[in-house]
Amino acid sequence: MAVSKRSKRFEVLEQRPVHKDGFIGEWVDVGLIAMGSPNDPKPSIRIEGSKVVEMDGKRREDFSMIEQFVADYAINVKNAPEAMAKSELEIARMLVDVNVSRGECIRVMTALTPAKIARVMDSLNIVETMMAMQKMRCRQTPGNQCHITNVKDHPVLLAADSAEAALRGFIEIETTVGVARYAPFNALALLVGGQTGRRGTLSQDALEEAFELEIGMRGLTSYAETVSVYGTESVFVDGDDTPWSKSFLASAYASRGLKMRFTSGTGSEVQMGAAEGKSMLYLEVLCIMVTKGAGVQGLQNGSISCIGVPGAVPSGLRAIACENLVTMCLDLEVASGNDQTFSHSDQRRTARTIPQLFPGTDLIFSGYAAEPNYDNMFAGSNWDIDDMDDFLAIQRDFKVDGGLRPASEEDVIAIRNKAGRALQAVFAELGFPPITDEEIEQATYAHGTKEMGDRNIPEDLKATERLMKEGVTGIDVAKALAKRGFRDIAESIILMMRQRVAGDYLQTSAWIDGDGTVYSAVNDPNTYAGPGTGYKMSDARWDEIKAIPWAVRAEDV
Amino acid sequence: MAQVNEQLIADVVRQVLKGVNGGGSSAPAASGSGITSADYPLGIKRNDLLKSPRGIPFGELTLENVESGKVTFEDFRISPEVLKMQGEIATSAGRSQIALNLGRAGELTKVPDARILEIYNSLRPHRSTKDELLSIADELEKKFGASVCAGFVREAADVYQRRKLLKGDLPSAD
Repeated sequence: MAVSKRSKRFEVLEQRPVHKDGFIGEWVDVGLIAMGSPNDPKPSIRIEGSKVVEMDGKRREDFSMIEQFVADYAINVKNAPEAMAKSELEIARMLVDVNVSRGECIRVMTALTPAKIARVMDSLNIVETMMAMQKMRCRQTPGNQCHITNVKDHPVLLAADSAEAALRGFIEIETTVGVARYAPFNALALLVGGQTGRRGTLSQDALEEAFELEIGMRGLTSYAETVSVYGTESVFVDGDDTPWSKSFLASAYASRGLKMRFTSGTGSEVQMGAAEGKSMLYLEVLCIMVTKGAGVQGLQNGSISCIGVPGAVPSGLRAIACENLVTMCLDLEVASGNDQTFSHSDQRRTARTIPQLFPGTDLIFSGYAAEPNYDNMFAGSNWDIDDMDDFLAIQRDFKVDGGLRPASEEDVIAIRNKAGRALQAVFAELGFPPITDEEIEQATYAHGTKEMGDRNIPEDLKATERLMKEGVTGIDVAKALAKRGFRDIAESIILMMRQRVAGDYLQTSAWIDGDGTVYSAVNDPNTYAGPGTGYKMSDARWDEIKAIPWAVRAEDV
Repeated sequence: MAQVNEQLIADVVRQVLKGVNGGGSSAPAASGSGITSADYPLGIKRNDLLKSPRGIPFGELTLENVESGKVTFEDFRISPEVLKMQGEIATSAGRSQIALNLGRAGELTKVPDARILEIYNSLRPHRSTKDELLSIADELEKKFGASVCAGFVREAADVYQRRKLLKGDLPSAD
């Protein structure tokens, strides 16, 4: 209905960044609906002996492979009759009620069918969802993860960025590549840079599954995350896997002492054209239950790379918060998304992160871009390094722990330089193409690759091939560092290697502190039970958050 | 294996732990070594129990010993005994599925890297006939003593047959 004379106000509004975002109405038949599709099954369960013979209106003989896996491995059959007899509303109220313990909520939530869980979520508004997250996340202390990438796969810049990110508080760092054959160098740069920035930093190389496993076995990475699961059988098969193959892979990782989590997210099934008319959240609940059934300790979800889909439909960002909450309610670690560009609007970008940032999650971002947006090879994150001071200000404004800390310019410069020099030493010792002092200088002061020169790519790629062929391990890297005088970083790498002997970081939601202590949901369980309980920011941590370097100090006025 | 629930998972875990613990090992009784979440993290509280696969104590896995050649990369691998203990910790923290996964993992410590990747690929959809999957299950059981993994692969073979996910099956239309 075009109007003949335009309103100046509407003309101005149309120029706002939010108008560049995609918005679409609900379209139930193709599954373009965030929550509560009329096609979602009605909750039901029938148990004979100890076997689920009917679930959500479907008989066992008609179960898809996913439904069978979920029914057999992810539902507590003993508690199911009692839990399923409760109304959605009653269970939703338990999640929000500070007088009902987390343990009691877990007991009920792990005995529900997928359709029932989806309906419980639909009974919560966004603030209630956040209240429930505060109680239900499995580890008490929140944390954060970042991406370390650049368009040139420049190893020196990767090492410098890793060190800075670790110094700034990221407990996990994740990379991917522009050129796949650079991947071994990326892993090496993150290992050396991450341990330079903070002893205990966990690092991963997000690549093809067999490669990830191999490089992890070598001790060049310490965990894996990009092991995808899906909510419909056809999409799962298109992804070339089944719940059984993925569970086997999960066991393979654990057998080598490596931490891992699965990945899923609302919208992936619609995007692949096979949502079967079901809501995005219902399908995501199936993914979360596959993860639970596989015995994997955690999940990266929150739409992830498909956020354009839920981001465009009504209640989509609410559904994303709900999928994080379901993960917590099944007692799994959650790396809660916020890792992909979805909006041109700064207001929407910030609002999208609030449901995870304010209540706190195990890893609020499963990829904060610790580099400028143009260098992010995961197609851009919701926040990047240029937003760092905004993030620090928000932590301070609301006295909320987002896992990051202010860092001074001189400390950042020093740690970036040290990481560059350490990688230079490793390259020299292992006979890789030399890293020049000029490259270290560039990386020390760089904003991104625009300040970096070009490497000899064919020579680098020959060296990465050699690295793989010769079977270079974390132990070789530690030896090289020790020999060239970087004994502290060498010790850190040995500490990381020892983790795979002890296996403590295989437990739910584990991270490694600077003294080598592993904290997880086992020894740092969430004890929230209302005001005055649960995670309490220490005075030291609050002083750290308060001390943004650019604030005017009262004594200077 | 199709009707696994919490109780059955617990039984299976006990069974696999027994298997891991058996084979001539002098480790404590099959009912478990009494490790619970109170012993966690093992690396701090119970590192007396931790050893490399060839028996080097945890405390000797140091940079100095790496430099002298006394310990090597192969010493930095998890053992089935430690996976068993971590499984017991997960169970005592109420996470039986993790214990089951770590039980399978304990069995897989004996399977070489390359063979693990091959078996993973064989378990992908439309890759294997039912007989091929069943022979992998037999191999896991007989060659590596991996009875829980074998049961898991047999279960997959049944599901793949029912859902037409074996080699040669046409991808289903639904």
